[in-house]
Amino acid sequence: MKNKNIIVTGCARGIGKEIVNTLSENGANVWACVRKPTEDFSLFCTELSQKHNNTITPIYCDFIDQEQIKTAAKTIMSDKKPIHGLVNNAGITLNRLFQMTSLEDARKQMEVNFFAPFLFTQYIVKIMIRQKLGSIVNISSTAAQDANSGRGAYGSSKAAVICLTKTIAAELAEYNIRANAICPGLTQTDMVSESMSQEIIQETINQTKLHRIGQPKDISNAVMFLLSDLSSYMTGQVLRVDGGL
Amino acid sequence: MTLKGKNIVITGCLKGIGRATLETFAKNHANIWACCQKEDQEFLDSIQKLSEQYDVKIFPLYFDLNNYDQIKQAFKQITDSKQNIDGLVNIAGVTYNALFHMTSIEKTREIFELDFHSQLYLTQLISKLMMRKKSGSVVFISSVTALDGNPGQIAYSSAKASFIGATKTLASELGNYNIRVNSIAPGVILTDMTKDLPKDKMDALLSKSKIKRLGTPEEVANVILFLISDLSAYISGQIIRVDGGIG
Repeated sequence: MKNKNIIVTGCARGIGKEIVNTLSENGANVWACVRKPTEDFSLFCTELSQKHNNTITPIYCDFIDQEQIKTAAKTIMSDKKPIHGLVNNAGITLNRLFQMTSLEDARKQMEVNFFAPFLFTQYIVKIMIRQKLGSIVNISSTAAQDANSGRGAYGSSKAAVICLTKTIAAELAEYNIRANAICPGLTQTDMVSESMSQEIIQETINQTKLHRIGQPKDISNAVMFLLSDLSSYMTGQVLRVDGGL
Repeated sequence: MTLKGKNIVITGCLKGIGRATLETFAKNHANIWACCQKEDQEFLDSIQKLSEQYDVKIFPLYFDLNNYDQIKQAFKQITDSKQNIDGLVNIAGVTYNALFHMTSIEKTREIFELDFHSQLYLTQLISKLMMRKKSGSVVFISSVTALDGNPGQIAYSSAKASFIGATKTLASELGNYNIRVNSIAPGVILTDMTKDLPKDKMDALLSKSKIKRLGTPEEVANVILFLISDLSAYISGQIIRVDGGIG
């Protein structure tokens, strides 16, 4: 990934933070998008860029706000650097049975998990089309394919991401732009521990073929593979990183 | 990425995807048991060169896919070396083009023997070594024809489809021993095996792919490298299309 410039959204914690870490370790420069500035995050970016001698630029953007998405894209473009990759990772989750889910809840899931990456990618691919080069990795979820109870709103928004990924792959292949999705299974993040009971987590682990919970590093390594030229003949694919659910 | 100190068994190393995989793994510093059908001086020279160039050990192994005694003999050479095996890449296989009604059941059995059972047998042997040290990664080469069908390839596509069930079942059974099992489904890759495809078939396949070109053996080898390496430590039971976006 040496000297590649990559945009990653949702970098404050969990999978996104680990993606920034992994990319930086492997020599990439990163635009790291988070919702709001915090001292912790600035420090994380500074330390990382010093450690690996590359650039980590924090970008502040609340992905529920179209104006902020546009501004973030403009800020990145104003750097006038080639953009080799985009990782749409920012997202929210919801565990609620279908009958208990208000349309408002469902719209919010769609807004952040689908419309936000939809719009953001529209801006960023303009640059990639001009460069005739780029790799897009969208973070979907096994919930998009497996339809688990309580995941109607979340799973549907993540399923929409899969369709978007395949469509982008079809439309933009002629510009040498690849698009693939990753479906993480159960991954050890705050988002999971905050939204799932210990009991359900254990139950899910028992269902995996590898009998363990995934680590953010497991996901970030797969993201890096899809961003890199190692996957140059893969596009429109959905890669499950789920320990075999 | 480095696979320094890892020992990998690769079958079908003489040509095509197998040869590219051999070279890719050597470049990434793995030691390799390079399997092919029969002794070949050009092959011996090239593995000698590779092992010097990348400072790795490459041992040739010879067996026929339909000769289980030879497979067992090759396996014995591996066990005699007392080396662990970290990865197994089952690439060796044959292709067969004939319409359903032109394909005898005997021929179909023969293709299954060469394209499925022998791989399963070798995996049975090698995975025992992996179980002992509770780690390993196995890769099978399936095909997009297994997932999408392809007129004129009934025997081949069915044999390749068998890997889909095998991959998922073995991922379950061997997951208990921390062994991962995945398949790659290549699309149209530039090898001797696809060279003979009629032009209209080739054009039809390419027109379906999003990246409008043939894949190279190296592009498949790179995905195999990913699946054998720890970068894919949480990926098991998957069928991964490397097809330029046919499906």
